[in-house]
Amino acid sequence: MKVIIKRWHAVAQWRWDTGVSSDDGDEEGDVCGICRVPFEGCCPSCKVPGDDCPLIWGECTHVFHMHCLLRWIGTAASNQQCPMDRRPWVTAERKVKNLVPGAGAAAPSAS
Amino acid sequence: MDARLRRVNKEIADCKNDKTSNITLDLVDNSPFHLKGSFPGPEDTPYQGGIFEVDILIPDAYPFQPVKMKFTTKVYHPNVSSASGAICLDILKDAWSPVLTLKSTLISLQSLLCSPEPNDPQDAEVAKHYTTSKGSFEETARYWTHIYAGGPGTKQSKGSAGRDEVAIAGLEQAHVDQFESLGFPRNKVIDVLRRLNYRGANVAQIPEDRIVEELLKV
Repeated sequence: MKVIIKRWHAVAQWRWDTGVSSDDGDEEGDVCGICRVPFEGCCPSCKVPGDDCPLIWGECTHVFHMHCLLRWIGTAASNQQCPMDRRPWVTAERKVKNLVPGAGAAAPSAS
Repeated sequence: MDARLRRVNKEIADCKNDKTSNITLDLVDNSPFHLKGSFPGPEDTPYQGGIFEVDILIPDAYPFQPVKMKFTTKVYHPNVSSASGAICLDILKDAWSPVLTLKSTLISLQSLLCSPEPNDPQDAEVAKHYTTSKGSFEETARYWTHIYAGGPGTKQSKGSAGRDEVAIAGLEQAHVDQFESLGFPRNKVIDVLRRLNYRGANVAQIPEDRIVEELLKV
């Protein structure tokens, strides 16, 4: 049999590698705790998800949309603490693991 | 869509889907930023059996600013104003965090009813009552739950028609009668005895002259 491909349509899917398994039964696991929008969506002040609306990781391992977290840290009420555990917020250098070099979504560098 | 609106709509929907917590959230008017929440009084407390309603206002900067909550059901509790329903709870003030939700905040109110903090009172008179005679405080709190929150009746309220002003104030009928018989109006007597915390061990501490003196002032 000979098959001639006339047209093809590639479909790609991306996710942030949050280090949190989405199938651990914890529904809260893949939404930003501040805006409650999934990590793969964007924070409420952005229109397009992706590298322009990255995630941010704390050394305490908690993850948020970067814009949401920075807005909270910018308020006096935050005392510069992680909203989850009230420890002083320290942005983590992202340890990238299990990533094939050059493939997948690049983890945002810590800012 | 506005971030605040999106988050609040989600929270209302989540609360509707959750059948286990018994917490309700309803719109007061057509705005999703003015809500009415309710939760059952915790078991093994004087609030058991009551349903407590809370007025909820969502500020413009939510969730970066705490929600405003106050009880609309009258509650007899050291950290709740017996007059206005205002609540003294750290997460509604400086310990707010944007990851808290309407539901989690209402659950915190529920647990505040389990564990009063009389050292950081919202209602000083109620806090005094709590610290000086806990048994009498609990009886009053139970009576309030019965008459205001639809809770089960107490021994003292059985058979009595209408509301018992003496029980609402957490006082003893005999004490009120004693000063009323001197010719002072009943409501003044109740007012003064409540203000002076004329309850339990305190009764022996306060000379009757002191009470008469106060009664003559008002």
